[in-house]
Amino acid sequence: MNLKTSILDYINDVKSGSLTVEEFTSATIQRIKDVDGDVHAYLSLNESAIDNAKSIDKKISTGEKVGACYGFPISIKDNICITGTKTTCASKILENFVAPYTATVVNKLQNEDAIITGKTNLDEFAMGLTTEFSAYGPTKNPWNLKYVPGGSSGGSAASVAADECLASLGSDTGGSVRNPASFCSVVGLKPTYGLISRYGLISYANSIEQIGPMTKTVKDCGFLLNIIAGQDSNDDTTIDNKQSDYLKNIEDGIEGKKIGIIKEMTSDGLSPEVSSATKEAIQDFEKLGANCEEVSLPTIPYTVAAYYTITSTEAGSNLARYDNIRYGYDLDSEGYEYNSYISKSRTKFGPEVIRRIILGGFVPSAGHAGKYFLKALKVKSKLTSEVNSAFEKYDFLIAPTAPVQPFQFGEKIDDPITLMLLDYNTVTANLTGKPAISVPYRVVDGLPIGMQIMGNSLKEESLLQAAYALESKTELPEVPL
Amino acid sequence: MVDEEEIIRVAKLMKIDLEDHTEHVSRVKKMLEYFDILDQIDLSSEEITSQEKTLAELRKDEFIPNDKKLIDSLKNFREHYVRAPKMN
Amino acid sequence: MTKIGLEIHCQLTKLESKLFCSCKANYREFEPNHNICPICMGLPGSLPRLNQKAVESATSIAMALSCETPEKIAFFRKNYFYPDLPKNFQITQLNVYGDMSVGGEGHVDVKGKKIKIRRIQLEEDPGRLIYEGESERTKITLVDYNRAGTPLVEIVTDPDFENPRQVRIFLNILSDLLENLGVAEPGLEGAMRADGNVSIEGGNKVEVKNINSFHDLEKALHFEITRQQSLSERGIEISQETRHWDDKRKITVSSRSKEEDQDYRYFLENDIPWVKIPQETRDSLKKNMPESISSKKERFVAKFNIAPQVADILASDKYYSDLFENAHSDSDAKDIANLITTDLMGFVDTKEKREESKLTSQHLSDLITAINDKTLTRTSSKTALQEIVKSGKSVKELLTEMDLGQVSDSSEIESIIMQVFEEEKQAVLDAKENPETVNYLVGKVMQKTKGKADPTKTLELIKSKLG
Repeated sequence: MNLKTSILDYINDVKSGSLTVEEFTSATIQRIKDVDGDVHAYLSLNESAIDNAKSIDKKISTGEKVGACYGFPISIKDNICITGTKTTCASKILENFVAPYTATVVNKLQNEDAIITGKTNLDEFAMGLTTEFSAYGPTKNPWNLKYVPGGSSGGSAASVAADECLASLGSDTGGSVRNPASFCSVVGLKPTYGLISRYGLISYANSIEQIGPMTKTVKDCGFLLNIIAGQDSNDDTTIDNKQSDYLKNIEDGIEGKKIGIIKEMTSDGLSPEVSSATKEAIQDFEKLGANCEEVSLPTIPYTVAAYYTITSTEAGSNLARYDNIRYGYDLDSEGYEYNSYISKSRTKFGPEVIRRIILGGFVPSAGHAGKYFLKALKVKSKLTSEVNSAFEKYDFLIAPTAPVQPFQFGEKIDDPITLMLLDYNTVTANLTGKPAISVPYRVVDGLPIGMQIMGNSLKEESLLQAAYALESKTELPEVPL
Repeated sequence: MVDEEEIIRVAKLMKIDLEDHTEHVSRVKKMLEYFDILDQIDLSSEEITSQEKTLAELRKDEFIPNDKKLIDSLKNFREHYVRAPKMN
Repeated sequence: MTKIGLEIHCQLTKLESKLFCSCKANYREFEPNHNICPICMGLPGSLPRLNQKAVESATSIAMALSCETPEKIAFFRKNYFYPDLPKNFQITQLNVYGDMSVGGEGHVDVKGKKIKIRRIQLEEDPGRLIYEGESERTKITLVDYNRAGTPLVEIVTDPDFENPRQVRIFLNILSDLLENLGVAEPGLEGAMRADGNVSIEGGNKVEVKNINSFHDLEKALHFEITRQQSLSERGIEISQETRHWDDKRKITVSSRSKEEDQDYRYFLENDIPWVKIPQETRDSLKKNMPESISSKKERFVAKFNIAPQVADILASDKYYSDLFENAHSDSDAKDIANLITTDLMGFVDTKEKREESKLTSQHLSDLITAINDKTLTRTSSKTALQEIVKSGKSVKELLTEMDLGQVSDSSEIESIIMQVFEEEKQAVLDAKENPETVNYLVGKVMQKTKGKADPTKTLELIKSKLG
């Protein structure tokens, strides 16, 4: 059984009868059993996966209408709610939280007969870049188990890279889909803000985060986007995508397109390997018929500070509800006074979450909002104008997704500034709401490097064309796991 | 320079119990000091904006009864009240 | 000079659903925690969905209070921890990035005194806390979230009131106005609450919170003014602080200084886009608003020649004005108005009586017709009204059943008159001397006929008999 297939190839195989859903699902489950002890991509598994597979096979054999997904296996980041399943956000504070409803994106997948394999690991409450901040232990990079898979959607990226499923849904607040996609050599897209419903996504920074598909190929990404994108009445921040078809014209190419190479993201701060891979990518884009030239976005050096200021403010507020009174874990309130009870129960938060919450209490506070929070909001406005101007001249803006290749566990976790700066190339897309995709490009010394392409708002169709074009010029080794 | 005492006071307001003071406080302080970079950029002409919708796009005013079992899946006390710790 | 300002919270109970979800706006009929959903419980992953009609109602209120209304409105988070707040923040409105709450800079006229309305905002009500147990040790706090998310309009006035009496009048005007608009039911328990702030000449401003009824508000204001005056007389400074009303002891008590430590970290509620309300939309809302009380009153006086005091009563009370509007024709409007404000009022002067009343506009219309036809006297109509309110029977039925038909037959009246003349010989002599006293005899005839005799005819006949 070849698990290294793509969603589209898998569907063809099932349609042609050369494969049953049950066969593939069983093989996937076996693969999870074989490797996840090492990778630790999953926090929980769907025990009904085989039953789901059987009923889809039945539909196929009786000629009943089958959903577009034909039972392909997909994993879901554990900050996305599915009815009846534990949804922990990789935190101890939600250890026993069973979601009473299902996120819109999962509903859409289930309605099209996708099979959910399980919930994947993340940095606690999606705050982090390496998945080292999970309260349930880190996920390992399938390319080298001593190395981090990136974060916060590390489990999602690793599950796809290790062939433990054919795709995953992660969430991207400052790079949390693209960064692990780059580190694990998979495709990861952060869509335009409002393209995909956040209903059922447990909020970290609701003004800029989006759920994002993570797949093996760019075409698979387009396929998945067709299923999950679109306005949702349950989420008032979603926008009308005019029923776009993201797959239809994906092979159109980028002849004559203008590409801006973001100066501030491609200068110092890049490791030599990432720097030379970037130069090669630029040459590839030119071979594909695009015109590339450098563009400067002078607000970029301020974006990491603005990003952390804004997200910690929102996180401090979004996580205030976790006081263990309405749901949470067993801690009898007898004998406690209100304030001490809440403080006691919130000691279950991990260290990074605690720090972000404190930051989030500080930067918007009455005495400090002018210096930090309000300035950060204005950086966001200024950046957006700058990027909008750039898109008047260019079709795409490019840079490497991460300034470095994956690194070893424990290497960066102690210096908060170094850690924050890993997001340097990715936060711009979140702060401006623009779509951006990471395309697996090189594997150097066994460690992946991804290239990031950013497009203008709601231009995912052409963004995927550019990504597909680059992918067609790229040859990658197979994951050694 | 950010005052460490103020960081500790803010933590209390956010209902965060800082048992192990030093590590968190000094790390938060470092991050805040990094944010000083925001002072270096000219933001005088910037305005705050947001997504916008029309009145017609808002949810229609309808009562849709909910699943009575929701309270059973949450922590509840006799007669379905939620019990809060003693208030001072 | 004493200065009082108010902060009034009014629930929009006439809406079907809560401000951000489809649970019921009026939560009163539900068992604890049976009017909740993932959104109003703030469950992880839930998102608020703004109620269109709530925005329309709040904008209408703003316009009815002569406020300026903005092109766009926005919502903010007020962050603090409390057990009645499911998310530990309240979604409310603020004017931080320009004027973005539903209205501001309005005014209300209170018997010639102009009270400025500083701001009107739309926000969600928290849940309800119930304290159990007598001693401090056994006290437990129970929370019912049925009310969490109920739409509230907060109305903040400038400190323009000079005394509690003006406050009381204002609150009555405001209640009538809100009820007339059809957006709220101020009479419902807990539907309208007010906090106040008080300062006396040369003193600091003191906020008074935790007031549960308008009745208590007046008491609290009186107490607080007295308290401040006595401090001032003794040369003691009045601290600027927040106090709460202790209903048991009927005094205001200083709230713990914890309030001062509070930092709400206000920022935009990004799950709710700004709502555009262009001028055309606001004009259209204004056009569709129910007629204002003052406009009704003017119309009643001008068009139907109704006395101003009567028009005032009718216009201010939606129940009466609805009855009136549906009952009258152009010719009998004045009669219907008088019937309502003199005879009917006593039978339907409370909420409970109105809820149980079976009276309809048709009844009033029929009654006036009968009176004008002289099939019924004005006096009998009062008896009829009482029965109609109780049973809802038609006027026609009652005329026969209760034998209320007017007695207009001359010979019948004459025979009663003769009886009265027999019994009241002295009064007859008096009447012959002094024609003014003849009404006494008319009254006796009315008594004997249980009010059914045609009074005009009776008077005529008595006069002719007296000679």
